[in-house]
Amino acid sequence: MELKVVGHRVKRYDGLAHVSGETRFVDDVIIPGTLTVKALRSPVSKGLVRGLDTSAAEAMPGVAGVITAADVPCNAYGMVPEQPVLVAEAIRYKGEPIAAVAAVDEDTALEAVTRIRLDIEEQEPVLDPLEAMKPDAPKVRPEGNVYMYGQRPFRQIVFGDVQTGFKEADLIVENEYFHPSMEHAQLEPQVSLAVPEASGRLTIHTVSQALYFHLGMLCGILQMEPNDIRCQAWAARTGSAWRHNAGFSDLNLAGGTVGGGFGAKNDLHADHVTALLALKTGRPCKWRWTREEEQLYSTYRGAWRMTIKDGVKKDGRIVARQMKSIRDAGSYTSLNAYVVDKHCFLAAGPYFIPNVYVQGYCVYTNKPPASSMRGFGVTPTTFATEVQMNRIAAELGLDPWEIRFRNAFRLGELTPTGRVVSSAALVEVLQKLAAQAGVDLPADLKALTSARKGEAS
Amino acid sequence: MAEGGFYTAASPAEACALLARHGDGARLLAGGTDLMVAVNERRFAPQVLIYLGACGLNYIRVEGGKLLIGAATPFAEILKSDLVRDQAPLLAEAVAHLASPAIRNAGTVGGNLANASPAADSATALLALGASLKLTSPAGQRVAALEDFFTGPGQSVLKAGELIEEVIVPAQAQGAGWAYRKLGKRKAQSLSVVSVAVYCPLADGKCRGARLALGAVAPTPLLARKAAALLEGQKLEAGLIDRAAKAAAEETRPIDDVRGSAWYRRRAAEGLVRQLLGQIAGQ
Amino acid sequence: MYSIELKVNGRPYSVMVDLKTTLLEVLRDKLFITSPKVGCNTGDCGACSVLLDGRLVRSCITNALTAAGREVTTVEGLARPGEIHPLQRAFHEHYAAQCGFCTPGMILAAKALLDENPEPTRDQVREALSGNLCRCTGYVKIVDAVMAAAQEMAGAGALKAGRG
Repeated sequence: MELKVVGHRVKRYDGLAHVSGETRFVDDVIIPGTLTVKALRSPVSKGLVRGLDTSAAEAMPGVAGVITAADVPCNAYGMVPEQPVLVAEAIRYKGEPIAAVAAVDEDTALEAVTRIRLDIEEQEPVLDPLEAMKPDAPKVRPEGNVYMYGQRPFRQIVFGDVQTGFKEADLIVENEYFHPSMEHAQLEPQVSLAVPEASGRLTIHTVSQALYFHLGMLCGILQMEPNDIRCQAWAARTGSAWRHNAGFSDLNLAGGTVGGGFGAKNDLHADHVTALLALKTGRPCKWRWTREEEQLYSTYRGAWRMTIKDGVKKDGRIVARQMKSIRDAGSYTSLNAYVVDKHCFLAAGPYFIPNVYVQGYCVYTNKPPASSMRGFGVTPTTFATEVQMNRIAAELGLDPWEIRFRNAFRLGELTPTGRVVSSAALVEVLQKLAAQAGVDLPADLKALTSARKGEAS
Repeated sequence: MAEGGFYTAASPAEACALLARHGDGARLLAGGTDLMVAVNERRFAPQVLIYLGACGLNYIRVEGGKLLIGAATPFAEILKSDLVRDQAPLLAEAVAHLASPAIRNAGTVGGNLANASPAADSATALLALGASLKLTSPAGQRVAALEDFFTGPGQSVLKAGELIEEVIVPAQAQGAGWAYRKLGKRKAQSLSVVSVAVYCPLADGKCRGARLALGAVAPTPLLARKAAALLEGQKLEAGLIDRAAKAAAEETRPIDDVRGSAWYRRRAAEGLVRQLLGQIAGQ
Repeated sequence: MYSIELKVNGRPYSVMVDLKTTLLEVLRDKLFITSPKVGCNTGDCGACSVLLDGRLVRSCITNALTAAGREVTTVEGLARPGEIHPLQRAFHEHYAAQCGFCTPGMILAAKALLDENPEPTRDQVREALSGNLCRCTGYVKIVDAVMAAAQEMAGAGALKAGRG
């Protein structure tokens, strides 16, 4: 059978459109009558909204609509559904959106935002995760500043017994690692265009990387889940005048053309706001974040503090690893809990360590929510564990290549999460890499395979 | 309040007259690479713009041993100019590290200096070369040494209604040593964290009239006079270079900002001066 | 408001602008030419790059009034009917575009380079593109594409795949 795709070099189906400028990104979708959206954002990291008066903004010529928390049918969403679309009362981070305006042009929208009267009772924020973990720290969220993994305030991995491992070790190598927060800085900022269709559907041109996640979340926010009692009560309280009890089929997410995401677009940033304004005004509404908003308020990789304590033998084998990691999650859970999971699962890296104990903390602070970024928690782990390998090698007087061969997974060994390694290739990859880098490995390392451990010990 | 408007000045004199007539709400516009950023960020709303793109201020020529550069000359022109490469290679080197190709196609030397950022990349090299500026106003013309031009971050001696017409750069002396280095967070298109330009004429192997200029380490681009004085009449050797580098670092008054700490800037300034003087000594 | 005339991709246009209108806004919002992108609006990322009288500029910080009477080229103006420009072909063949957002600006920066220096080295390509950010590709394939296009445009024969 002749294969037409597998084994052939296939061009990107969107390549010609990219190079001819025809690719239509969300901001390139032009619909006459589209309103420009701008948000009023909290100037403080923590506080309570005591007064919010949008009447002057609403009265401005050229302003088609203003929304606040009162306009949101179900004002709680997220992987853990706790994040408001617009702040109702409790501000959790500087820049958190409190209101949004749809107007005929950018100047009018920006002016209207300045006319919204906002009274805030400012509160003392907590900005350092180590401070946030203290019992007397200001509460970022009512449930406390540390995410609970079941009964524990951390994700725990237990494999073998590290204390026994440390006793067997010839040397203990302990180091601290700090990975700062990182912004994706994808070229295309957050942008959303919500269009109320004549058919009654709402189309949202979205940059989402997670169309089905967001379809579900948007249906929840717009109260398109008729059986959600909490949402029905919210809708009744706000007396919102638009449609209820609609379903997935009423919301059309037009997406898939994304100008870079890398995890930046796994969270709702603009779609919920444009959707609400489109429904309220009956007109297409577009919100394009500025680069400054992107840099300051969009989701990002939260910072990590990691401590790795390894028990090692003179020949370079790691016999025990104890790791404690603290992730600065910002003010909402979002994907942070999952990020911590993945971070911890990979604590041993591509190496076999017979005794492993990991604690991973997901800690809240009064900063914008952190979330997914390329590698999803594993990249910071790798940074720390690979530097740790080199430090171990240095302390033992071993070559950094050798120590990796020594510890590399072999077939049939177990990961710290109890999975059997059924496909291992680090040994062969290192051998190939050495050859490409012009590094002449000693014969015993060249002879190793992933099928069995080396004899030297 | 003056009436709004966009004027394309036909001459520097006309530009000055317009500037003086329209007062505070008026701005000169050449490449716009600083002004339009402020406009886009809504930090500034222009009422009157006076465009300098067609008033004869885009030129590079040599007269009487000096390089004369019109204030509205884009950096791209300066970079490709044989005259600049021959007469003031230190300036050409600094401009090569300024921003990026697209910005250099529009941004002008006059705009860069008038914006008066302490990190202005052309300022460091021009200070080291002892440049001066021809300033024009409705009242007439005056020449100001560049080392007297900057008075604070974003501030200069320019009076209301006054513009920079020309940059006057003495040609580098035969056999003079020179070197430039800029540290930034990226290799291109990056605001200086620290920049250093050194110009060191030599007579019988001894420094005569050396000038050391540093950028982004003080409220204005900085001429390190004490460090330069140490070099006067001396041969460049390791001990002297070390003392000069330390003296230069002591003259800096850096701040902490998002690009670097004062601590780092002081040490980096010392390191760069040492490195560049060492480079010159080895030439 | 002022009325200005300018040419874009060979066609004459007349648009209304004010003192703060940028060339990028003219292209995208008034002429619906959307290949130059809003990446930062401060001249830092290069996604808005266009050629103005053949020179690479940042349309997001080019005051529209200063573009009056001048010629703008965007990627839409590179392709002749029925065939695409060698740079466009090379970018496509060499997978130099992933998300595609930086691509229009990147191609124009490459064109500006090749117009002035038809046989650049890889370092010269990197230098010429140093003001255009790409967060997807890591730049290597972009440099490959520009080198390949340069070869084709210099008449060196068939397009070679891989590193030039």
